Amino acid sequence: MDGQTTAAIACAVAAGCWVVGGATVLLSGLRATRAASRTPPPGDGSPAGAERSRELADSDGPEARAVLFQGLRSGEPEVRRACVTALGRLGQRHDWAIDGLIEALAERRDTPARVAVQLDRLAPRADTRLLPLLGHPNGVVRYYAARLLAREDEARRRLVPDLTRDPSPQVRAAALEAMQPAPTGGALRRALQLLDDPHPAVRAQACLTASAISAAGSTPFVAPLLSDPSWEVRNAAREALVRAGRGATPVVLPLLEDESDDVRSLAAVVLQDVGLVDDLLASAEDPALLERIFTAGGRRLRALAEDRARERRPLVGSRPAVAEASR
Amino acid sequence: MSTVLEICVLACAVYVCIVYAIYVALAVVAFAENRRSKRESVVDELGAVSRSRFSPSVSILLPAHNEVGGLPDAVRSLLALDYPEFEVIVVNDGSTDDSVPRLREEFDLVPVEVLSRGVVATEHVEALYRSATEPRLLVVDKVGGGKADALNAGLNYSRHRFVCGVDADMVFARDALSTTMRAFMTDPGRVVGLTSFIEIASNPSAALRNGVEYRLPETRPFTLFQALDYVRAFYNNRIAWSRLDFMLCAVGAFQVWRRDLLDELRGWSREFTCEDIEITFRVHKELRERGRPYRVLCLPVRVGVTEGPDTVRKLIAQRERWQRVILETWWAHRGMCFNKRYGSVGLLGMPFYLVSEIVAPVFESLALLTLAVGAAAGLVDWRLFAVVVVLISLVNSALSTASLLMVELQSRTYRSVGIVQLLVLMPLELVFYRPILSWARMKGTWRFLRGDKAWHKFERNARTEAA
Repeated sequence: MDGQTTAAIACAVAAGCWVVGGATVLLSGLRATRAASRTPPPGDGSPAGAERSRELADSDGPEARAVLFQGLRSGEPEVRRACVTALGRLGQRHDWAIDGLIEALAERRDTPARVAVQLDRLAPRADTRLLPLLGHPNGVVRYYAARLLAREDEARRRLVPDLTRDPSPQVRAAALEAMQPAPTGGALRRALQLLDDPHPAVRAQACLTASAISAAGSTPFVAPLLSDPSWEVRNAAREALVRAGRGATPVVLPLLEDESDDVRSLAAVVLQDVGLVDDLLASAEDPALLERIFTAGGRRLRALAEDRARERRPLVGSRPAVAEASR
Repeated sequence: MSTVLEICVLACAVYVCIVYAIYVALAVVAFAENRRSKRESVVDELGAVSRSRFSPSVSILLPAHNEVGGLPDAVRSLLALDYPEFEVIVVNDGSTDDSVPRLREEFDLVPVEVLSRGVVATEHVEALYRSATEPRLLVVDKVGGGKADALNAGLNYSRHRFVCGVDADMVFARDALSTTMRAFMTDPGRVVGLTSFIEIASNPSAALRNGVEYRLPETRPFTLFQALDYVRAFYNNRIAWSRLDFMLCAVGAFQVWRRDLLDELRGWSREFTCEDIEITFRVHKELRERGRPYRVLCLPVRVGVTEGPDTVRKLIAQRERWQRVILETWWAHRGMCFNKRYGSVGLLGMPFYLVSEIVAPVFESLALLTLAVGAAAGLVDWRLFAVVVVLISLVNSALSTASLLMVELQSRTYRSVGIVQLLVLMPLELVFYRPILSWARMKGTWRFLRGDKAWHKFERNARTEAA
């Protein structure tokens, strides 16, 4: 075969690919419709069965339960993921679907975050059934169980004494987060104790929880954490103090003369966020104090405050508290 | 004379064969990966991800330098994202236009001091603004220091576990985060960063209306050639790289990273013309050296539309810079090439860049020179030359068709008229579009050799109202 023939064949092949490929693209819509009408064997453990599992969830037929539980044990991660999604869909109608998700979480059939997303959408239906997972040997499972249970009163009563002593820092932080909405007796004391936790995520969450339970009462304990080595903790302490509003001022003012530059400027930011700086600028009541704050906060804090005063713009509230550090 | 020319022709032919063999192999891998990804997206439920408090929180960093034209649109499209917990940090990097006043007016910004994490040293931050109406928006106004410096400033103010760097000329799909962040939920232990497919248009706001409805917005061949180029770059290449674990470029227009990793690496480097390829190379290098399991992904999901140059001059400026940054980065990390310590990155990714990007201008120049000398000496067989051109055009078309097919299987959003336009333009690309890219690459190589590190930013297109 000479060069010209080879080139001609190559051209023909490439042109064929282009034409056939182009036609396929144009007809792909039609092909998709036809493919949708073909039904793969349900829950057969193959990837093709994954979509069928999801369809089963929609059809809600009698075979769904067996198929989905079988699929959860499949060796194919894709099938297990499809089953978790399908169980999430069915959970509003069937208790067995919730049991399936709890099994998936306990047995790590899918990544815990994905299972938790499905269980979260079913709250509070799943809540009490998650309680046994609090004693699960795996810290990750306990963590997700604790965060999922944060909305449930009975769970919270159990979480406070048990999980704030959990060996896993993530679980301790999750337990603290769970205590926030409706604190039980001793919750504040426990949160304040955990301000000294060795793990920064726990200290950060302890700041937020303590201030959520008693913003004013927790300020003397939270203020020292403005000098914490972890940014997460310092930011959480700032948020906690800002939550206390002007009540935080007496504990923050002495920090304007702290030996650390970072602590001094952070204290000034807190006083800005609680509105003290703007009030002092507007009233000209205590120029010495204002100067102390500006000296601690630096030139930018002063310039921005003066901008606000000039434009008569009210200070926007501090950015919302985050449970970020606990995750 | 003819012997020399024959050797040159042979060298070019061998080079072209090698490059296209690689492209075909990558297209096959990309096809398999695309199918897998499609199946995965079918079994996932985005609605649950976009509402759940278990979805990972994201700080979106939007560096901007003289981007007043598109910036408000970009910010609005980010704030409209359908995702439970995120913040948008706009970093104005020493703009001399009205970016900050315009943002202050549009988003009711109030000056305020904010706590910095102080992870990376950056140019001086002059002011910070928080929106009175949108608590998730923070604007950092700083002295110009380049894109990497602006991203680092944003990193210092980011609060969330994941950081997403984006470009100011982008308009985002509503589900951009919910479709991509699930990759981190699916494999939380290993996935450290990702990028995703981006469309191109001369007016992104018109192309992606309401963040949902995408359409090929125009019929200008120049923009459609670029659209084809993007589709191929993502679907034929990056998705295959991702599958083969050497995804070496998380594009600056949409790059998501774990924040703790960026903190560890001390953010984006200012030593390079452009930051995106370099950070991706560095992530691979560092994590391979530390023996940590990780993945950097490219997802076949459309996350938004970016603004493409609307003139040849702008296109050359853009592509020249891309070539320069590839050369800078590859050269800085050349120790990884053919080094088995770096696994597929060293044995496949770096050599791929070497063959397809680094030496390409050499062979392009050689081919042109050979043609010119051959023609002058009357040694060119024009019939054979035409056959070769037709063959390469058709192979290109076949590869482009494969990538278009992957887009359609993934999202089915092109209309039939648009598809036909693209199919017709494919064979013409080699003659009408590739020479521009070749020239830009040669220019970029030349500037790299001269040590030029300027951004040479192209002027943004005139914006018209979305139809």
